[in-house]
Amino acid sequence: MKRLLYYLRIWVFMSRNSFLMVLNQRSVLLIFLAGKVLRFLFFISFLFFLLKGAENLAGYNSTQTIFFFLSFMVVDTTAQFFFREVYRFRSYVVTGDFDLILAKPMNALFRVLMGGADVIDLITLPPLYAATVYVGKLLNPSLENVFLYLLLLVSGLLITAAFHIIVISFGIITLEVDHTIMIYRDITSMGRFPVDIYKEPLKGILTYFIPVAIMMTLPAKAFMGLASFTGVLSALIISILFIFISFRFWNFAMEKYSSASS
Amino acid sequence: MGKYLQVFKISFQQEFVYRLNFIMWRVRNVLQIFIVFFLWDTVFSAQGRQLFGYDRDKILTYVFGLIFIKAFVLSSRVQDVAGDIARGEIINYLLKPVNYFKYWLTRDISSKALNLVFAVGEFSLLYLILRPPFYFQNNPFLIILFLISIILAIFTYYILLFIVNAIPFWAPEMGWGGHFLVTVIMVEFLSGALFPLDILPASLQNVLNFTPFPYLIFFPLQVYLGKITGFLLFKGIFISTIWIFILWFFMNWIWKKGFKVYQAYGR
Repeated sequence: MKRLLYYLRIWVFMSRNSFLMVLNQRSVLLIFLAGKVLRFLFFISFLFFLLKGAENLAGYNSTQTIFFFLSFMVVDTTAQFFFREVYRFRSYVVTGDFDLILAKPMNALFRVLMGGADVIDLITLPPLYAATVYVGKLLNPSLENVFLYLLLLVSGLLITAAFHIIVISFGIITLEVDHTIMIYRDITSMGRFPVDIYKEPLKGILTYFIPVAIMMTLPAKAFMGLASFTGVLSALIISILFIFISFRFWNFAMEKYSSASS
Repeated sequence: MGKYLQVFKISFQQEFVYRLNFIMWRVRNVLQIFIVFFLWDTVFSAQGRQLFGYDRDKILTYVFGLIFIKAFVLSSRVQDVAGDIARGEIINYLLKPVNYFKYWLTRDISSKALNLVFAVGEFSLLYLILRPPFYFQNNPFLIILFLISIILAIFTYYILLFIVNAIPFWAPEMGWGGHFLVTVIMVEFLSGALFPLDILPASLQNVLNFTPFPYLIFFPLQVYLGKITGFLLFKGIFISTIWIFILWFFMNWIWKKGFKVYQAYGR
């Protein structure tokens, strides 16, 4: 418990510094905020007009399809808020600054994974959560389904954390982070729609290999009462398995780290 | 002319220096096509379905057409200009006996040539994997106008990028921000790169048609699919040409203003 509080205090401190850096450049903050809001509005409008004409998407009506998209956004934006530092990781390795992180009295993985929370995402998260609650209410879920939804969102976030850890570990070995993280994001963006629209073998890949289905689609399905007990249980096991694998890969990458840039 | 040919060759070779970067960028393009393909394949899964003026063949041709049009129009090196200005490196180019705009146009053409080669490979691969129905345009007149509309789109995007990349003259830290807002967000949604714009209500389409964005991707593909003919086709080509002139004058004006305030920090 004492250790947890110690890291919580460090996270608050690092996040405050990260926010101050962005808030110092207000025009940059505004332009990125406007971009993110516009992208969200454009996509919601696209879904609205698409469903107005097509009436359903893989059997899901417009409210359900928009809820799938909002659930994707909740997982994706929350992950970006916490793990933004990953996007800066390459420069730490290339410049040798990673050595300074390793010398500090805290877990290096924690520092490079969560050391730079994104204030722009922090601003967009409350209205996003509110929109998800609003659209979710229209689907009249049971209390049990809401609980499963929240549980699976946490499981989805664990998998996103695992992928971010794998990306930075890969970055230590190959010095390539920027494109790897963007490819990860492109793949997860397939979760903007229910994965039922994809055909095999892509659907299988999105369920078991890069489990976008578990991260983004399954929570929304559970909310609608469409997820089986086995599905939920498998999701929880897979998320724990992914976290375990990512930690092992991180340890492996650290063994390969040569500190060549220092 | 000879010096620009050399720029073309060097720029082409430079793309191969960062091979992993280039391959990753193409992989990302393929992934984006997957999403759009499966989305529309699902919407048009019912036999003989007609929606928003498309049948299955035409909508999937639209999706596959995106591979080529994006390689032609949206692959560009001009986004590096913002960094040149912010770091003061643009001064190096101004001292050389080359026209800065022609220099970047040459680099753009080089980038497009390479992207096009890869687009052909990706198209063939995706075609073999997905086996989509394909709509072949056999009217030579429409094919010529389709090619003209692509050339106009290339120039429009090139000038648009030069305008957006002039922001660092006044705010060096905002280079990527302006690029993100205009070319990543607005171009992606308003050009038809994600979805055909005719799913939008007619009133919204009418407004959009007076902006330069639909003429980057949506309009050329409509011409190829034969969905725009007669007066509307020539009206589209005319508006697109007018936009090139407007943007060209605006670009010149903004760059002159920019150079007057520029202090080349970092040099």
